[in-house]
Amino acid sequence: MKSREQEYREIFVAEALEYYDALSRHISELEKSPKDEKLLAEIFRLLHNLKANAKAIGFINISDLSHKLETAFGLIRNKELNFSDEVVTVLFDGVDMLGEMITNLDNPNYKEADNQVLLRNLDLIVEAPDSTALEVDKVQRDYTAKNLSLSDLIYIQIKKLDHMMNLVGELIIDRDRILSLSKEIENPDLAVVSSHLYRITEELQFSVMDARLVNVGTLFNKFPRIVRDIAVAEKKQIHLEITGQDIQIDRNILQIITDSLLHLVRNAITHGIEPAEERVKIGKEAEGNVWLSAQNDRDMVNIKLRDDGKGIDLNDMKKAIVQRGFLTSDVVNDLRESEILSYIFEPGFSLAKEITEFSGRGVGLDVVKNAIDSIGGRLRVESEIGVGTTFTLHLPTSIAVKGALLFEVAGGFFAIPLMHTDSVVALQNHQLHEVGDMLVAEIMNETISVIYLDELLNAPEGQMRLGDKRVLKGTEQNIIIVTYNNRKLGLIVDKLLRQQDIVIKPLNKPVDNIDIYGGVTLLGTGKVCLVLDVPAITRYFISKR
Amino acid sequence: MNKKQNPEEITDQKDLAMEATVHLIVFRLGSEEYGIRIEQVKEVTITPEITRMPKTPDFIKGVANIRGDIIAIMDLEERFRIRSSHPDPAMSTYTLAIEAKDYIIGIIVRDMPQSLTIPVSKIDKTPAFIQDLNINDNYIEGIGKLGSRLIIVLDIFKILTHDEIQLLKPL
Repeated sequence: MKSREQEYREIFVAEALEYYDALSRHISELEKSPKDEKLLAEIFRLLHNLKANAKAIGFINISDLSHKLETAFGLIRNKELNFSDEVVTVLFDGVDMLGEMITNLDNPNYKEADNQVLLRNLDLIVEAPDSTALEVDKVQRDYTAKNLSLSDLIYIQIKKLDHMMNLVGELIIDRDRILSLSKEIENPDLAVVSSHLYRITEELQFSVMDARLVNVGTLFNKFPRIVRDIAVAEKKQIHLEITGQDIQIDRNILQIITDSLLHLVRNAITHGIEPAEERVKIGKEAEGNVWLSAQNDRDMVNIKLRDDGKGIDLNDMKKAIVQRGFLTSDVVNDLRESEILSYIFEPGFSLAKEITEFSGRGVGLDVVKNAIDSIGGRLRVESEIGVGTTFTLHLPTSIAVKGALLFEVAGGFFAIPLMHTDSVVALQNHQLHEVGDMLVAEIMNETISVIYLDELLNAPEGQMRLGDKRVLKGTEQNIIIVTYNNRKLGLIVDKLLRQQDIVIKPLNKPVDNIDIYGGVTLLGTGKVCLVLDVPAITRYFISKR
Repeated sequence: MNKKQNPEEITDQKDLAMEATVHLIVFRLGSEEYGIRIEQVKEVTITPEITRMPKTPDFIKGVANIRGDIIAIMDLEERFRIRSSHPDPAMSTYTLAIEAKDYIIGIIVRDMPQSLTIPVSKIDKTPAFIQDLNINDNYIEGIGKLGSRLIIVLDIFKILTHDEIQLLKPL
């Protein structure tokens, strides 16, 4: 298992090599158009960032060289130095030396004594721009494979990994089907291969999920600056402690909880932590404490945000619950503490006395809860008045986000995975034909069966009129064409909504056995959207004819 | 639903302090009062938006999002074919979230439920007429009496087990 330091080093080297590539490119272009302001600005920016990053890790020689080059280019930008002749050579050599230093970071034999001439030249350029005392030291650069290096890390679009994950999901469904068929068929060779297939797909799934994991630290490490800014704005003193940066979690999940965590941190500082004088009065340290931590919990990840502020007043909560008409006062008194606190996630609920720039409007916590619910996570709060508050985000390590098409039928929201969606068309009623007891249409030179979903789903059993155009509403029909096993089927929906990435959760008992549903998803609004299973709908349709 | 307490009820409640008691959540179905032991009730909330679920029995009104759990919502009045005395769909209702062995289900009740403590002795477990009711005898734990009030104490888990079997029937 790599240490964090090793990982940071690798990331630095990967980024630095990118910078070096970009610098080489830009400086070559600059040679052709020496007055290009944009190129100069970009070169300056790259050197500046490289200097800062190298310094942060402790690679002082890279940082110093970057600084020298940055100064030189700064002078060129200010027109105090001309990018021509010897200056060009020295700067090119400087950039190359940078590349060499980066590639040789892990090489204990790399000697920097060879670079003294170049470093002196650089100093000369900077200190005495008009000097002609440059030592022309033409070092031939052998562009062997040694000098051109490719990083060990690659950048990959998360969408590509999403797609791989979805493919693996489908593979597993078919694999399980093969396994159960193999048990029925009882062929020894088939049994062996199925068993092997099972193991390989398990490992494949694990590998794909592992490839998507990132350190929680990539998000956590942004918070010191954020906390500082909010603390300054709120005129409070805050000490932030972060632990668990090495804990790994699916990159998508991290993306989704970013805003939520931000909101919780703002709340903690704005509403949780008391002003310094108040804290001292009640015997606390003037500086408020905020703890941000991550831990593994079997196959979930717990992210905790704790503050030692004033906590949530249960009596205020109870009063607010009754005042807003959620419950009567006698029922409220029977609630457990955790249940009372959970009302803090109701939309519009706010105990804040004033609304500040950062929070208090009561629009935040319910959005946070919806976001976490939608990925199959849990948000819990514990609080003790006068002592502090802890929010716990209980998150799955991995989720599959699937693209889906959302639509409406008889006022209900439904979704179909894009994987099974072929296309969407709008047809006039006269383009639909009644054949036997079903509807068909000619779509792109294919005759396709068309089902009016409202009828299939909502008409009483035994009274379905799937072949009767008269039950259709309006004169134009929106049809989603779905495919399964190379079979196409048209589904008439009332209204097409939008395409959206969703997280599909399985339905719970006692409604978990209804074939046509592939699960359920929570939309960002908290609304429940049923996911239709295309193969099951196809089978159901066939059984109804 | 707060009936004025008569002297008999007040005496009954004074006796509470000295006997074993049962804590019930009491609600109305039709024109009668029903009670469920509080241990069986996970939470009580205003009924959230219910998403209808086609191809489920009529008494399953759909599913709803309660604190991030997506649970099925059942209407007991429809389930037991009880005539509702306030069939006004516009009226907001309450949902009791019942925690069964490995899932949660919601029950709709028309009015705000009440919390009530009743001495164990006041629950009559074996009145003969229970056999005649259209609610299967297993579902009723007993008939509770508090003053002039008659509360039908349900064992909600028995109802759920029976329904689970019903719903398993393939489409």
